[in-house]
Amino acid sequence: METILSINQLSKRYGRIQAVNKLSLEVVKGQVFGILGPNGSGKSTTLGMILDLIRPDSGSFTWFGEHPSKESRKRIGAVIETPNFFPYLSARKNLEIVAKVKDYDNSDIERVLRTTGLYDRKNDKFKTYSFGMKQRLAVASALLNNPDILILDEPTNGLDPQGIAHIRELILQVASEGITIILASHLLDEVQKICNYVAVLNKGNILFSGEVHDVLAISDCIELASADNAALKAAIEAHPAFHSIIESDGILLVVFSEDVRPGAISEYLHQKNISLSHLTERKRTLEQHFLELLKDNES
Amino acid sequence: MKLLSIELKKILPYKTFWIIIGLYFLFLALGIIMAEYIVNAMVDDVNKRLPIPLPHAVLFYFPDIWQNLTFFASIRFVLIFPAIIVIILITNEFTNKTVRQNIVNGMSRSEFIYSKLQVVFMLALIITVILMLVMLTLGLIHSDSQSLSLMLNGFSFVIGFFIQMLTYLCFAFFVAFMLRNTGLAIALFTLYTIIIEPVIYFLLRAPFIWENTVYTYLPVNSVIRIVEYPSIPALKKLMNFQLQDQVTLLACAVPMIYAAVMIGIVYLTFNKRDL
Repeated sequence: METILSINQLSKRYGRIQAVNKLSLEVVKGQVFGILGPNGSGKSTTLGMILDLIRPDSGSFTWFGEHPSKESRKRIGAVIETPNFFPYLSARKNLEIVAKVKDYDNSDIERVLRTTGLYDRKNDKFKTYSFGMKQRLAVASALLNNPDILILDEPTNGLDPQGIAHIRELILQVASEGITIILASHLLDEVQKICNYVAVLNKGNILFSGEVHDVLAISDCIELASADNAALKAAIEAHPAFHSIIESDGILLVVFSEDVRPGAISEYLHQKNISLSHLTERKRTLEQHFLELLKDNES
Repeated sequence: MKLLSIELKKILPYKTFWIIIGLYFLFLALGIIMAEYIVNAMVDDVNKRLPIPLPHAVLFYFPDIWQNLTFFASIRFVLIFPAIIVIILITNEFTNKTVRQNIVNGMSRSEFIYSKLQVVFMLALIITVILMLVMLTLGLIHSDSQSLSLMLNGFSFVIGFFIQMLTYLCFAFFVAFMLRNTGLAIALFTLYTIIIEPVIYFLLRAPFIWENTVYTYLPVNSVIRIVEYPSIPALKKLMNFQLQDQVTLLACAVPMIYAAVMIGIVYLTFNKRDL
């Protein structure tokens, strides 16, 4: 697999706050990589550093296997925090400047304006746009001439529900075309809906990273009940992968430290001569994971 | 040329740019129209006390027109307008955060600085060329055949004026990059040019410094002193010392060194800074 971005031990400190702490990660071609973390966790600082806006204190990174340069940045489409354009220029004129900086001609401008639904307003000045339209123009400029990778920093922040839906739809569409994406967000469901890989960031550290699908499956909890809950509890606690148990209303909520399927549990208990009256797998959402991860990190 | 064409895309549709450029040429034209009137009012005033009256000054003939008009075009209150344009064009990039977008899209930081220096250079060049054409036209209208033969004698003042524009706009470039805030940069730059530096001069002169040296080496004054006096024969006669009759290399060197140091500081700090 082709490595698009490789970050090695990147650090940045602002006064007493360690914004990013020896962060390392790798993004490979085709990934939709989510960087998930609460506000102030170092997402924007990290993206700022890999886009040459912020000077790292230490550490390094490579783009497309090469030392980062202005040429590598021309292959990147990025939407950073707020949409930054000249207020007195039209959408089209603003995109012409972007194209010129990236050494492209103007032939792709109409397409990205259509894709983002701004074509009818292309000759209107940027300052007359609603926030949602400004954000879409930022996406349009990032999509110009099909970049090798799309970087989106909180792309739906401050948008109304309709705007959020529109932007997400756009991202999914781009992802389906096979363009690699890095999405920074503090919204779990956004990462869950869009990304296939996630790194959870807090206080500048990566707490966890892996495939979104794995994160969901790791420690789901299983609901169990039987005629003799005391015996059931004893048997479960003896299971090699047992992690914790909560009893409520005659139902045992069991969490295992590794992936244990309900079928295997049923078989295990059957061997111990316990017959179940209730067995349900309860999927925990990434959100619960996320909150737990943050809580673990704080304590 | 790529960087300049990007800058033109940013500047040409910008209304504020045209308004300030318009104001600049309006003030310049007013200055030129008023210059002769003001000088002759002074001559009239002096004549009241003189037994033999001085003749009225005529400013617009060759070769003196070069020195006279470049002098009036480089007084503080006029010079400040193009500097404000430079400040606005640069600080706009910071307030609109388009500088971030430029870097992200694949402009290097040095290219960004270089593109703004190109704007400074072009602005200085265009203003000089326009002023030169005005002087040429006025000179041809007012000159007789005798002064026409001396036409190119004072041409060093045109080059001097270009150096004045270029270096003064470099100072504005420096202040804009350092402060990044449009209002603050304009206010401080104007204040420094019009009030702070003259006050420093006043404080440094008598009784500490009797000669003119320190005044000349303050940054804005070093720019203004390139074209130090207008060329008025009556004035020359009146004052008992030699007035400048050409632009000297030394006078140009001082502000150019200032400008070079400022550009150097911008390069060093901007390349290290977080945007």
